[in-house]
Amino acid sequence: MNSLFKEVFALFKYIQDLLLSLQKLLTPTKAYSWQTLIYLSLFSWGTSYFAIGYIKDIIAFCGWIFLLAGTAWYTTDDPLRVPGTFMPVGAVITGFLVSVFAFGYQESVLTSKTIVIWPTIAAIVTAIPNFFEGTGGRSAKAKLPKLQDRQKVVVLLAWCMLISCWLQFYFVIDKWLKEYPSLRADNFQKSAFVIRLEPQGQKPKIGDEILNKLQPLVNQQIANQPWSEVEKWLLEANQQLGNLGRRTINSNLGKSQERLLWRVEPRIRNIDSGYRLDMLTIWGGPTADSQGYYWKKSCLIQPSNPGNKTDNKNTVARISCDRKNELVLGSPPPQQ
Amino acid sequence: MSDELSLPIILPIGAIVFEILFLLTAIPVEAYIFHRLLKFDKRTSIFYAISLNVFSSVIGWIAFFTIEPMLPIAIKAELINYVFFNKLQNPNLSTMIVLLSFIIFLSTFLVKFLLMKILINFMNEAGTKTEPETELMSSQQRANYINIAKLQNNTLVTATLIANALSYSAISFIVLIRSS
Repeated sequence: MNSLFKEVFALFKYIQDLLLSLQKLLTPTKAYSWQTLIYLSLFSWGTSYFAIGYIKDIIAFCGWIFLLAGTAWYTTDDPLRVPGTFMPVGAVITGFLVSVFAFGYQESVLTSKTIVIWPTIAAIVTAIPNFFEGTGGRSAKAKLPKLQDRQKVVVLLAWCMLISCWLQFYFVIDKWLKEYPSLRADNFQKSAFVIRLEPQGQKPKIGDEILNKLQPLVNQQIANQPWSEVEKWLLEANQQLGNLGRRTINSNLGKSQERLLWRVEPRIRNIDSGYRLDMLTIWGGPTADSQGYYWKKSCLIQPSNPGNKTDNKNTVARISCDRKNELVLGSPPPQQ
Repeated sequence: MSDELSLPIILPIGAIVFEILFLLTAIPVEAYIFHRLLKFDKRTSIFYAISLNVFSSVIGWIAFFTIEPMLPIAIKAELINYVFFNKLQNPNLSTMIVLLSFIIFLSTFLVKFLLMKILINFMNEAGTKTEPETELMSSQQRANYINIAKLQNNTLVTATLIANALSYSAISFIVLIRSS
C-alpha cells in the first residue's frame, strides 16, 4: 500500500515537473525572446480573423513573419538535434513553416510541393548559420573544423535533397494510381519498388461499365434492321464496333488518361440460328496478369420475321445480350 | 488538405531501400578509388564519394521527374509496368534498356566530374579565403591542399571514370544476383 502511494506521488511529481517546465517554456523570460514572437504571430492571426480584404492578408503575412522569426530564434536558442545528424529539430520546424509559407499560402496549408521541398529547406535553414559564423578573424586552429563544417553542410544538403526526391517519387506513383484507376485494384506483390498499404480491391469495373454503356448503342444499330444490313454491319464489325467503342470510352472516361489504354473489339461466330457477337473491352495498360485481362459481353443476333411471311425482304434482326459481363484473365481469342 | 494529398495507398519503400543499398555499395568503392588515385586522406575521399553519389542521384531523380510527364503513353505504360509489377510487356525493350543504361552511365560520369570540380573549388576557395596564412597549417593539411590544388584535369577524369565504372559494376552485380 505504501509503495502504491509512493508510485502515485511520483506520478504527481512528474506531472507537476512537466507543467512547470511547460510554464517555463511558455512564459517569456524577457521582452526580446522567441516566445514573444510566437505570441505576436498568434495575436496577428487572431486579429486577421476579424479583418477583411487586403488588410487581413497583410496582418496574416505579418503573423507568418513573426512565426518564422520566432521558430528560427528558438532553433538557435535550444539546439535539440535530429538523431544522427547535426540538424536541429527547430530547423525542421522552421523549414516546414518556410515551405508552407512558400507553396501553401492561402489556398491550402499542405500541398505536395510543400512536403517535397520541406527537407531541402530544413537543410538550408541548418546550413545558413554556418556561413555567418566565424567570418571575422579567427585563429588558424579553427581552420580544420571550418572545412569539416563545410563538408557536413554539403553532405547534409545532399541527403536532404535525396529525401525530397523520394517524397516526390511517392507523389509521382500516387499520381499514376489516380490517373489510371484500374491500376489501383491490381496486385503489387511482385513489385520490387512499392508496397501496398490498403487491401487489394476487386478487379476494376471500368471495362464492365464501358460494355454496359456500349450495349444500347449496338442495339440501336442492329435491332429491327433488315437482316442483310445487319450481316453487312457484322462483316465490318471491327470498324463499326471500334468506332462506337472509342466514342463510348471518350464520353465516359473523359479526361482520364486511362481512355487511351482501353479498346473495344468484336468476336463473331456463326451459329445455327444466326450469329454470336462477343464484345470485348480489352485493357492494354499495365497489369500484374502476364497476359492481361478483358471484359466480355455475349450477344445473340438472330433473324426474325415479324409478319410470319417467308419473304426474305421483311426479315429483320433481333439481338439479345447477356445481362452480366464476364471478366476473363488472359489474352483475347484471335479474330476470325 | 488539397486533393493531391490523400491517405497513401502505396509507398515506394522498395525503391528507397534499393537506392540506399546502391549508395552503400558505390560510396566505399569510389572512396577507395579517390583515396588511391587522388591521394586524398580517408575523410576527404569519403566526403567526396558521398556527395558525388548522392548529388548525382538527386540530379538523376530531377531528370526523371522532368521527363516522366512528357513520355508517350506506351512508354509510360511500360514504366508503370516495371515499377508496379516488375515486368516488361514488350520484349524489344531490352535493347532500349541497354542503350539507356549506357547513356545513364555516361551522363552520371559527366555529372560526377562536374560536381567534383565544383566541390573542389568550393572547398578550396573558401579555405584560402578565410585563411591566407598557410604556414600555420600542419604539414599534412598543406600536403592535402597542394595535392588537391595540383590535381590535373586528367587525373580527375581518370579517377572519376574508374570510380564510376567500378561502382556501376558493383551495382550491376547486385542487380544480377537479385534477378537470378
